[in-house]
Amino acid sequence: MAPGAGLSLAAALDFGTLPSQVVNGVLNGAIYALIALGYTMVYGVLRLINFAHGEVYMLGAYTALFVSWAYGFRPDVPPDQLPESSLATLLVMMLASMAVCATVGVLIERFAYRPMRNQARISSLITAIGVSLLLQYGGGLFLPQNPPPTMNERVNPYRQTLELTLVGAPRELSQAVEAAREEFQKAERAFEERLQAEKDRFNLSPEGERLRDAKFEAERRLRDAESRLNSAQVTVRVSAGRLAILLASLALMFLLRQLVLFTPTGRAMRAVSQDFDSAALMGVNVDRIVTITFVIGSALAGAGAMMTATFLGTSITPYYGVLPGVKAFVAAVLGGIGNIPGAVLGGLLMGLAETLVIWAGYSQFADAVAFVVLIVVLLFRPGGLLGSSAVEKV
Amino acid sequence: MALRVRIASILAGLAGCWLLDALCRGLLRESEQRLVVLAGLYVTLAVSLNLINGIAGQFSIGHAAFYQIGAYTAGYLAFFYYGKLPLQGVPWLVAMLLLGMITAALAGLVVGLPSLRLRGDYLAIVTLGFGEIIRIVVQAIDLTAPTGEQVGGALGMNVEPRIRIIGLVWLFALTCIAVTRNLCKSSHGLALLSIREDEIASAAMGVQVPKMKVAAFMIGSAFAGGAGVLLAHSESFISPSMFPMDLSFIVLTMVVLGGSGSITGAVIAALTLFYVPEYLRGLKAPDGTALTATGASLLGWVAAVVAAVVVVRWLAYRYRGTARQRALGYLLTAVGVLVLGRLLGWGLSFLPALQQAEYEVQKLRMVIFAGSLIVIMLVRPEGVLGRHEFSWDRLARVLRRQRPKEATG
Repeated sequence: MAPGAGLSLAAALDFGTLPSQVVNGVLNGAIYALIALGYTMVYGVLRLINFAHGEVYMLGAYTALFVSWAYGFRPDVPPDQLPESSLATLLVMMLASMAVCATVGVLIERFAYRPMRNQARISSLITAIGVSLLLQYGGGLFLPQNPPPTMNERVNPYRQTLELTLVGAPRELSQAVEAAREEFQKAERAFEERLQAEKDRFNLSPEGERLRDAKFEAERRLRDAESRLNSAQVTVRVSAGRLAILLASLALMFLLRQLVLFTPTGRAMRAVSQDFDSAALMGVNVDRIVTITFVIGSALAGAGAMMTATFLGTSITPYYGVLPGVKAFVAAVLGGIGNIPGAVLGGLLMGLAETLVIWAGYSQFADAVAFVVLIVVLLFRPGGLLGSSAVEKV
Repeated sequence: MALRVRIASILAGLAGCWLLDALCRGLLRESEQRLVVLAGLYVTLAVSLNLINGIAGQFSIGHAAFYQIGAYTAGYLAFFYYGKLPLQGVPWLVAMLLLGMITAALAGLVVGLPSLRLRGDYLAIVTLGFGEIIRIVVQAIDLTAPTGEQVGGALGMNVEPRIRIIGLVWLFALTCIAVTRNLCKSSHGLALLSIREDEIASAAMGVQVPKMKVAAFMIGSAFAGGAGVLLAHSESFISPSMFPMDLSFIVLTMVVLGGSGSITGAVIAALTLFYVPEYLRGLKAPDGTALTATGASLLGWVAAVVAAVVVVRWLAYRYRGTARQRALGYLLTAVGVLVLGRLLGWGLSFLPALQQAEYEVQKLRMVIFAGSLIVIMLVRPEGVLGRHEFSWDRLARVLRRQRPKEATG
């Protein structure tokens, strides 16, 4: 049994792209963090793994899609008749997603989880799995999925790539690239002109062949110069959309922090997560707090779904939430489930680890790395990174 | 139990399996035989997970991983060694069964070890993660055969030859049930039950908690691995997509729905949950076309079921009642749902928009599955059987209309 391609070492690590990858990993992690917050808050208050959270996320993505259709970005509209998008459009989409997700989250809590609150925890877990399956397959019945729709890329006004040079290359290298590019363009133009004059495009005359070879030679020299330049300088390339995701996520997390730390509702929430029954005895309206927790958690998932659907352009299916949901849950556990800063830390770590594994050439293992990191961390810190693993006292 | 009873039940089990095999071969089509095999495998999976989850109380949600390990052990070994060893046909399958059980038990050891440090949800997520890691690694590895052929990987692999013996599958399921049941009656089983109830207290009473936990994991995963071997040789094709996370969830659902800790419950729930979607898949209208449901009747049924759930929960909250009254209540509710659903569907059919919207029942099957799951959990959170087991004594007592001696409830 010879080991096949799957286990061979990656050919070479391209350290020139590493800074970009690190930044992108953090940006990916921001989304995981947003979803993980929903898991961790619900767990903190109810001690329930809300398996339907990923499906709430999926509904958020569909809501954003429908709102964008309402704005005129329908798939059947020819590209030149599409309306202009703006920040306001994006905000409306985000608010709609958040509102729909919050409503769905509250409904799930009211009708599926609340009746189970006094039962064994595994029963409510099975109910959660049932809700998750119901939303997935129900979504499969009623939501457009064949072919899987994608958000029109014109919805996103921030499509350009931002480039930040950390360490500049020596000037002669960039000059060499410029010179090579000029030469290449000259050779290409000459070849194109010759091609117009040729009788038979596929059977060139000797003169045409010479020009074609010259063009290829110039192109090769240009690529050489470019790669030399790239390996000498360190730049970070990020699409503006991803940066927007990060900024919006940070803003939402900051709002959440203020809410949890400095409002009466937040104080009640912390009290409920510390001790459900005592909080109720102290006059906290526990049902209200649980509802608010679901509103916030689901709204955050909705915001995350809207941003991934818009800025990353992934196609939307009824199973859109499964993998992000599982990974975000892993992120929440990694940080210490029930712990809000932990969820953010776990999400960022998860995004980073995944991107770095893809960068190292093991993209087929990208989905597994999350779990490997989790198991390793839990073996050393059974309560997660920031969680407390209190010893049970009798 | 007297030795005579034990021998008699073993003989009865063997005869039953042989009879089932003969009957299925004689009466059923190829595709239906496959369903009987799969049903037996699901029973094995549910009962073995019940050992880990319901009896030992270790919250594991990655059972599909052990199933997959068994299947791939058989797949790879059959590819590289079948025909080169003096084992052919059934002896080969039995040898594979043992090997698959050993490999899966070793994997169970690896997963069981974290359970010594982790509790509850943290253990659950580690088992889930382990399942995903296995699936992804299997998906990523292609082995190259001496002939230069690629085996395994994301596209799956063929397992030659196909050996489908219904009797053996069910015999294995019966063995799993018997092992679990006898374990529960032994002192080791009592130790497991005490760990489920309270880990610290049982450690204080002298139960070797770590050893017992790992043992439960290893036995449970060994049976799942054996089921995987039988699956590989019965289907003659395996791929990573046959062992998704959903499979683990569905097996877990079987355990909890039947009543966590009840072997009878796990068997009943496994058979029901496996059969219902298959039944709905094959449902045809009287004229042979695909059966469809109108929006009106769908909405009517949904409303009736929701109403029934509300009524049952309200009643359960208000009145306790005797066991017979409760059974009667459930029966009346079921009848009420049927009547109310029909009536509402008829009433709603006067709305033209609802009458014209039609859905194929086939596509609805998973929705119905998930919906009934939620409803059953809401109505009976402790599972259909709770922690009760089937027993002949009890059946005899019920037939003789005697009140059970011990209080049940």
